[in-house]
Amino acid sequence: MEVTWLRGAAVLALLAIAGVVAGRKLLVVYRVIRLGGGPVPLQSPGRALRELAVQVLGHRKVLRRPFAGLLHLCIFWGFLVLFSTIIQAFGEAFVPGWTLPVLGSRPWFALLQDVFIVIVLAGVAMALWLRLVVRPPRLARQDQAGALLILGLISGIMVTLVVSRAAAIRLDAPAWAAGAVVSGAVGGWLAGLPRPALHAVFEAAWWLHLGIVLYFLTWIPEGKHLHLLTLVPNVALRKARPRGALAPVDVEAADRLGASAATHFTWKDNLDAFACMECGRCVEVCPANVTGKELDPRRLHTDLRRQLVAAGGARRAGGDPQVAPRLVGEVFSEAFLWQCLTCGACVEECPADNDHIDKIVAMRRHLVMEEARAPDTMADALRSLEARGHPFRGAGIARTAWTAGLRVKALPDGERAEWLLWVGCAAALNERNHAPLRALVRLLQAAGTDVAILGDEETCTGDPARRMGNEYLFQIFARANVETLGRYGVTRIVTPCPHCYNTLAHEYPAFGGRYEVWHHTQLLDRLVAEGRLRPDRPVAETVTFHDPCYLGRHNGEYDAPRRVLAAIPGLGRVEMAQCRERGFCCGAGGGLYWMEDRVGERVSHVRTRHALATGAGVVATACPFCMLMLEDGAAATEARLRPHDVAELLARSVADGD
Amino acid sequence: MDVVVCLKQVVDPELPARDFAIDPRSRRQAREGRTLVISTYDEHALEVALRLKEQTGGKVTTLAVGPQAALGEAVRKALAMGADEALVVDEPRAPEWLGAEVAPVLAAAIRRIGPVDLVLAGCESADWVERVVAPLLAEALGAACVTFAARVEPADGGVLVRRMADDGVHHVAARLPAVVSVASDDANKPRLPKVKDIVAARRKPVTVVATADLEVDPAWRLPAPEVRGVTVPPRTGTCEMLGGEPAEQVEALVRRLRDLKLL
Repeated sequence: MEVTWLRGAAVLALLAIAGVVAGRKLLVVYRVIRLGGGPVPLQSPGRALRELAVQVLGHRKVLRRPFAGLLHLCIFWGFLVLFSTIIQAFGEAFVPGWTLPVLGSRPWFALLQDVFIVIVLAGVAMALWLRLVVRPPRLARQDQAGALLILGLISGIMVTLVVSRAAAIRLDAPAWAAGAVVSGAVGGWLAGLPRPALHAVFEAAWWLHLGIVLYFLTWIPEGKHLHLLTLVPNVALRKARPRGALAPVDVEAADRLGASAATHFTWKDNLDAFACMECGRCVEVCPANVTGKELDPRRLHTDLRRQLVAAGGARRAGGDPQVAPRLVGEVFSEAFLWQCLTCGACVEECPADNDHIDKIVAMRRHLVMEEARAPDTMADALRSLEARGHPFRGAGIARTAWTAGLRVKALPDGERAEWLLWVGCAAALNERNHAPLRALVRLLQAAGTDVAILGDEETCTGDPARRMGNEYLFQIFARANVETLGRYGVTRIVTPCPHCYNTLAHEYPAFGGRYEVWHHTQLLDRLVAEGRLRPDRPVAETVTFHDPCYLGRHNGEYDAPRRVLAAIPGLGRVEMAQCRERGFCCGAGGGLYWMEDRVGERVSHVRTRHALATGAGVVATACPFCMLMLEDGAAATEARLRPHDVAELLARSVADGD
Repeated sequence: MDVVVCLKQVVDPELPARDFAIDPRSRRQAREGRTLVISTYDEHALEVALRLKEQTGGKVTTLAVGPQAALGEAVRKALAMGADEALVVDEPRAPEWLGAEVAPVLAAAIRRIGPVDLVLAGCESADWVERVVAPLLAEALGAACVTFAARVEPADGGVLVRRMADDGVHHVAARLPAVVSVASDDANKPRLPKVKDIVAARRKPVTVVATADLEVDPAWRLPAPEVRGVTVPPRTGTCEMLGGEPAEQVEALVRRLRDLKLL
């Protein structure tokens, strides 16, 4: 075997140069990511592998946009398969005609490689079509020149690969040639060329191929292209915790509460920023952005990345890493930060598995706890929470007013029950939610379920305070409620409020409160399935179900409320275009129930239009906040659309239920 | 500018109607088991004091008269918002007192604090709405008095007050010492405390004295009104059922609404 040492050395030298250029850029990125704090609790290796398989290899989220997803899948899988050709090209630097051991000489493997060359080129063509012809708005703010450069380089790598393979086939008729149908066909065009010319063609294509590959390597650590490297660790190192739970902070011990500069986030938050490929899917699904507000979830990562790089540069130069412009107030205006509904649509959609909510809440924590700044109406809600234990200023009704005429046991009266019905302030203190509450209690009693309430000893779970960034106040509520629930020996809780559900189930364990928590639609679903509730009266309504974000996206429960509705005879169901994982927030999440929605269109009105478009007469929901927002939407749009809780509809169908 | 802010603790004015009750013995609002808060306008007065301190320096002292145990929460909140010190006059009878009874005690407590430039109080309490404490205090302390201030700005050796009046807005210049009663205004919305201030408030000095330890000048004592009776207005509702077919019902309803001048 002839070994071309000089040629091999030249290629290795080029590889070393490209490696050093890329490595230096990567080192900068690594150091910048390490500016962040920790520790970050990470998911188990088993889950990490599963996520990698589904999210990276399977492109689960990427494929939600079928066209863009397919083209990316083509290029991605092409990269995996054709990595073999890059290794072969490097091998050929030392041994002319070298191929991978075992596989390289097999015609079927060459066929696979050839097919993927075509697939990648098709993917590139689709990408160009998307970028240059379709031009979706979500890509408008992406680095178009950079994207075109990368597409050009990929095409270059493919074309030079085919040409070099074609020339090799004509020159040496290698063992794999029989399978390489595409390269073979291209080789046909070279048929008339004399051997030295063929050799020249091969050499030119081969050197060009390696050159582009190496040049490409130096571009990977730049901007959005970095996701080629960061996405895998970002998906694998996902924070281990339920989606809806926010991370607690030790308020008394922390020297700084929340984040006001790029260097105040965790290293995982920083890794998120470098995993963002700026695809803009988060922007497209953001209810605040869609309704014309300033919030742009993509900027949370792209702007943070820019700030981090600047901070890292300043630190290396020995300066203050707190670079201008200020992160909170300038890069992200206060309005921007207060527009987030924490609905999780962006998190659900993000193909990089980034978490936008954590960053918003970190900056809100700074605003509220360090600077004591919050929109007036939110400040009023926080003050009311402190003084009265609930955020509804001016509610003017008692927490147990809804029980009038019902026999409901109360734990403070010395009663005991299998289930605690955690009512929630939004249900107890807003009269529109009394009918669903009463329907729920009558259904539970009809099914023989033993429930009791905490009565006047129930307070807010602290969820609104936490989402508004007042972690201090949240923890006061968490500790007090865990104490109260412990005092009564509560182990099983059912609640009609998805926000309470999320906090009780996922956030109280960090404070020592572990309960079996059910949403009311889950319990009703079980009671219907077990035959303990028999919906036999027809309800002649066409109903569309609005997914509450904290039941659906944050807790993965899409089916229980739908099964309950499906069990009601005579009830017709239609779905909104945006439902389930793609559900559109009602406008109340993230503490924004307590903020006037004045910029652009109201989120609740847009959601009401979605429901109207189905032609349904009833929009069903399973959250007292959604109920209030949808009522507002229905009233404002003068729609003949009536919002109802799933429990209300079920009660109409169950003979003993009303 | 050294400022004293008088804070009254009252039953939450946003109490659910069901929980509002009159104690027949004292003829005062029942407090037992109810949320207690700083009277609304007193919080605005505190905000004015804190802003003056930010502009001119000096010290803000809060002053409250009432049962010491119940006052803890209100005092801690005021200190967390930014007051420097608190003086509590431990007086178990205070929740039953009217303005004429509390004003001399406040005046004696302010004397005890020492020379102060400005005394602020809410323009009225959220429960009795008498609006007498500030004028009575000014009289007792021999200080100038301005009521219903929306804004208070420091000026040469005194304060400039923008006060809300029935006939419009008055701009009043007052010499110090002065007693100013504060009404609500966008510019004096009570601030949220910062968490570090809440934590720091636990270490701020709170002085507690008993009424008996204060030297209340008998000349300041005015006869207090005697409350003969207090009642909660009964909520009455009558429901009239309109009979007949829907069309007749609609006609009858329209007629009734016209009679009531609602249509």
